[in-house]
Amino acid sequence: MSHGLVKRLLSCLCTALLVASCAKQNKQAFYNTGIIYCSESNPVTFNPQLDTSSTTSDASSHQLYDRLLDFDPESGRIVPSLASSWLVSDDGLTYAFQLRKDVWFHTTHYFTPTRNFNADDVIFSIDRWRLRSHPYHYVSGGRYPYFESIGLAQNIASVERINGYRVEITLKRRDSSFLANLATDFAVVLSEEYANQLAQLGTPSKIDELPVGTGPFKFDSYRKDHFIKYLRHNNYWRDQMIEARTNGEVLIPDNALDSANQDFEKERGRGSTAEYHDEDSPVVEQLIFDITPRSSLRLAKLMTGECDATAFPAQTELEVIRTKEDLTLAEKPGLNIGFWAFNTQRPPFDNPDIRRALAAAIDKNTLLEAVYFDSATRAKTLLPAASWAFQNDADDTAYNPVLARKLLANAGVEQGFSMTIWAMPVERSYNPNATKMAELIQRYLRDVGVEATIVSYDWATFRRHLQEGLHDSVLIGWSADNGDPDNFYRPLLSCGAIPSGTNRAMWCSEDYDKLLNDALQTDDIEERTAIYRQVNRLLYERLPLVPIAHAYRYQAYRNELEGMNINPFGGVRFGGVKKAL
Amino acid sequence: MPQYSLYDEEFHPSPWQRTWASFKASHIAMLGLIMLAFFVVCALFAPIITPYDAVEQNIDGLLIPPSWLANGSISHLFGTDALGRDLFTRIIYGCRITLGTAFITVVLAMLVGVSLGTFAGMLRGVRSSIANHLLDALMAIPTLLIAIIIVAILGTGLVNSMWAITLALIPQFVHHTRSFVRAEMKKDYIVASKLDGASKWQLFVHSILPNMTEMLVVQGTLALSIAVIDISALGFLNLGAQSPLPELGVILADGLDVAYLAPWNVAVPGMAIFFMVLSINIVGDGLRSALKKRVSY
Amino acid sequence: MIQILVRYCTLFVLTLLVLAIMSFSLAYLFPGDTLENLTGLVPQNEMQRAALEQQFKLDQPYIFQFFYYAGNLLIGDWGYSFTSGLPLREEVGIAMPATIELATYAMLMALFVGIPLGYYAGIRSYSTSDHLINTASITTYSFPVFWFALLLILIFSLQLDAAPLSGRISLLYNIEPISGFILIDILLSDIENKTLAFKDALSHLALPTFSIGAIATASMIRITRRSVIDVKHRPYIAAAISRGLSSWQIFFRHILRNALLPILPLMAIQITTLITNAMIVETLFSWPGIGNWLIQAIYQRDYPALRIGMMAVSTVVITLTILVDLFNRMIDPSREKYERATV
Repeated sequence: MSHGLVKRLLSCLCTALLVASCAKQNKQAFYNTGIIYCSESNPVTFNPQLDTSSTTSDASSHQLYDRLLDFDPESGRIVPSLASSWLVSDDGLTYAFQLRKDVWFHTTHYFTPTRNFNADDVIFSIDRWRLRSHPYHYVSGGRYPYFESIGLAQNIASVERINGYRVEITLKRRDSSFLANLATDFAVVLSEEYANQLAQLGTPSKIDELPVGTGPFKFDSYRKDHFIKYLRHNNYWRDQMIEARTNGEVLIPDNALDSANQDFEKERGRGSTAEYHDEDSPVVEQLIFDITPRSSLRLAKLMTGECDATAFPAQTELEVIRTKEDLTLAEKPGLNIGFWAFNTQRPPFDNPDIRRALAAAIDKNTLLEAVYFDSATRAKTLLPAASWAFQNDADDTAYNPVLARKLLANAGVEQGFSMTIWAMPVERSYNPNATKMAELIQRYLRDVGVEATIVSYDWATFRRHLQEGLHDSVLIGWSADNGDPDNFYRPLLSCGAIPSGTNRAMWCSEDYDKLLNDALQTDDIEERTAIYRQVNRLLYERLPLVPIAHAYRYQAYRNELEGMNINPFGGVRFGGVKKAL
Repeated sequence: MPQYSLYDEEFHPSPWQRTWASFKASHIAMLGLIMLAFFVVCALFAPIITPYDAVEQNIDGLLIPPSWLANGSISHLFGTDALGRDLFTRIIYGCRITLGTAFITVVLAMLVGVSLGTFAGMLRGVRSSIANHLLDALMAIPTLLIAIIIVAILGTGLVNSMWAITLALIPQFVHHTRSFVRAEMKKDYIVASKLDGASKWQLFVHSILPNMTEMLVVQGTLALSIAVIDISALGFLNLGAQSPLPELGVILADGLDVAYLAPWNVAVPGMAIFFMVLSINIVGDGLRSALKKRVSY
Repeated sequence: MIQILVRYCTLFVLTLLVLAIMSFSLAYLFPGDTLENLTGLVPQNEMQRAALEQQFKLDQPYIFQFFYYAGNLLIGDWGYSFTSGLPLREEVGIAMPATIELATYAMLMALFVGIPLGYYAGIRSYSTSDHLINTASITTYSFPVFWFALLLILIFSLQLDAAPLSGRISLLYNIEPISGFILIDILLSDIENKTLAFKDALSHLALPTFSIGAIATASMIRITRRSVIDVKHRPYIAAAISRGLSSWQIFFRHILRNALLPILPLMAIQITTLITNAMIVETLFSWPGIGNWLIQAIYQRDYPALRIGMMAVSTVVITLTILVDLFNRMIDPSREKYERATV
């Protein structure tokens, strides 16, 4: 009896052990099928056309959607995406796009596509933000902030369907940044068929809540403050292209396709096609955004492996990430600029000599150390090194308190002159701690006999008062949405940007605006770069603002992730990323 | 307490002296008392003790490690935080704010609670039944919930969180006062006073209140430890005191952002709260057992 | 018996009524425009305002509004959250069981660890082991729960990598909420990796449960120990000793049950503390419970959610409290009036 019992117990134990060892293997296999990304906040919507915040575009544009064009993350050049090739007319006003065939929209629990992607979808997506008369224009608020800020809708004369896979867009004026704008995170392509279906059901606003796109992942579910779940898009066109290539077929005999493929290869890391069907590394079936607002908690989850990658590690945590062997910290110079702008409409800041004096009074290198913990590069001009028009040998102000005192004395500014420094109340990558920076500047100014007081309000009030021009000077910055230099120069300092509230220096110069417009009249990169060199020279002479820093963009992820890549032009993307424990 | 004295004039210690004697006999309780006294001294004399200003930032000295670490310096005993503020100074001021507000909260709650409790205890019949039941219901609502609602109505801030905690503490005082008054009202000496023609007010002031002080002291220490934990919890959750006010919970929450780089910013404020609560609890326990011993002899 | 039941039922209904009145009046107490607080919409013009007021019955007298509100509460139409746009009943329906689950396991821990230890300490009162237990319990009891949880995270998650620190289960699993209790839901679900999921959920439960449970256990030890010591000094124990009963006999016949009686009403207070602690700990462990939800709601000033959340939490707590009381009355009829001992 007891013997039998022991035997039974033993066999039980054996089975348990067996199950346990099996479970371990299963476990690995199972955890390899999903990627968890710790994101910092809730997206406002799932349609990046409607919102410019990076949280929204991270959660939607590269995961759910594709654009007509993309930026190559390495070179920053524009490469084909849904449009396999394009033609620009000689006068630079007409753009004809050849669209890719065999691109499928997501099949989800709320929508099943009956046709694949074609010209109608492109026209619908552009007309939605372009035309006020469009039935979908006022759905979900009717504001399209990115396109409004660059005035693109006013510049497009027509969007026409030539045939099922060819679209022609005609502009009113030449705009050499037009293609770049179509490649931004915000210019996504929606499904027209889905929109029609929703309109029939009478629930048009669902288009932005339950999204349908052509991207590598399809939407599954979203719980505010907790998670967003995505599933793999089985008919994703880039995957199919790879399959076709490995099978030795050529699906679309298109010239542009080859270059697209090569770029794509680069993006996914070498030899990824061969590994793709490897039994050992399972396909990523799920992508999950774990919404974790606290940065320290995001890092903790990354360290315990509850997240595979995390958004925006805090500057203070970078060192910790670097010391961990199982974590990778990828960094790239970001497309942003943090600066100190003077209100040039207020005397005495309308005098360039005073502005130069104040600029000479501060030591930018100390600011970089104390505020950015050296995670930024010193800014000479508005453009960061990631932009193709970056000028390496541009003039820069230097720390020279003697010069500053002299200039101030010459300009008739007495000792003890007082001014305000407005410090923005929020953290941004281009300025992680504006108050701290303001305090540092305050000390430098005291050395040259200027008494500065620091002003801060809550973010909404702060921006309103700035727009009213109540400040003497302000510490703020700008994150660009694409690599085109016009995206920096125009919103920050052109006359037209004063009313729209992005020109914090309230500076208006006809020379400057003319140069910017000239630069848009040509597509020749050399020629444009030359013009922007003149712009830099002009800005150095007039100095409406002091460029301070271009902050790096960081992304931390576990070593198990393969193919993670920081994209300096816009949000995070998980298409083509794999996981191997 | 047997006393052998050859003289007729025996020394009769007062009840409080006897309590103190048995309290003193317990080393742990004394230790707790010394700790508590230390915190009280810190709270009272914070401006004298502290070497720096609690909110002034110092950009040259960010995240200096505490003095016992290799690269720490003695000029900042507990190191500095992410904005270069001296942590020692902030902790001392934190004790002042956290312990001080907790104390005020408890006194307020006690005043209101005792008056309501006495009232409820002297009531009879249906009115008493309704009052009591409502009270029990109120007592069951978690502090955090009351605090959330008060914050929703009045906004965040230390004073508002004090209101919330006062509200949450009142029912306990009411409850204990009520049961105490109930029990006391049945006792003979009260009946005797009643027969002497004492009014309800006189009964309360002259007969019940003196007997109640001990119960109130014990309840008060208990409430104090709860109040300290609650105030710092609300500060920690960003529902109470707001940064840069040096409240212990707020300091802890601030420190969490640099937890990896400067773990002392989380450890020290947490220890401060822990030891403060521990000392209050030990004193409360000691007091209670001292009272119990006195009563049982 | 029936009288007691009726009494408690009236008490329950009365309390709920008071709570409903309180949560109703909150809409008028919140800062800002009442209509905007209720709807989350800013009326563009007077027409729209009038229409909205009519829709939300704000044009009616207060008493009518209240009955409309109470009616809606009863039929389960709890309104919508500003920020997520989802029906509040659904949101509370997901968040509430998560908190209750956490609190239940912590309570079980307190009962199965705290009471035996308390008995042991009480019987061996003033011995070394008693002092040890007592010191440990007063120390644990003095921990602020949020700091304790942080320490646990630091040690067990970050240093030892023994347990995960956030959520109820790895987000890779898709568990349909049926009962709302994750462990039960896993058993009920038909996913492939059931054992894996179950283990994962258990490891997620470990730290939050322990951080609340330890503090609840500590106070349970203190309560039990005090009660046992109290009973030990009763005359009937002396009588039993003089009758020559062994200490085991005394324990089982007299101390065990008599010491348990005063503990029960104290459990009612424990429930409140437990839920408060659970709500605080949830924010640290990203546990998708009601505390986390309410705190998010207050950060975003989601007034309808706060109103309903307050109603829901207090209803649950009060129901539990009253049930414990009722139970207490049932098993201890000698208690003439509802009473509570001291902690």
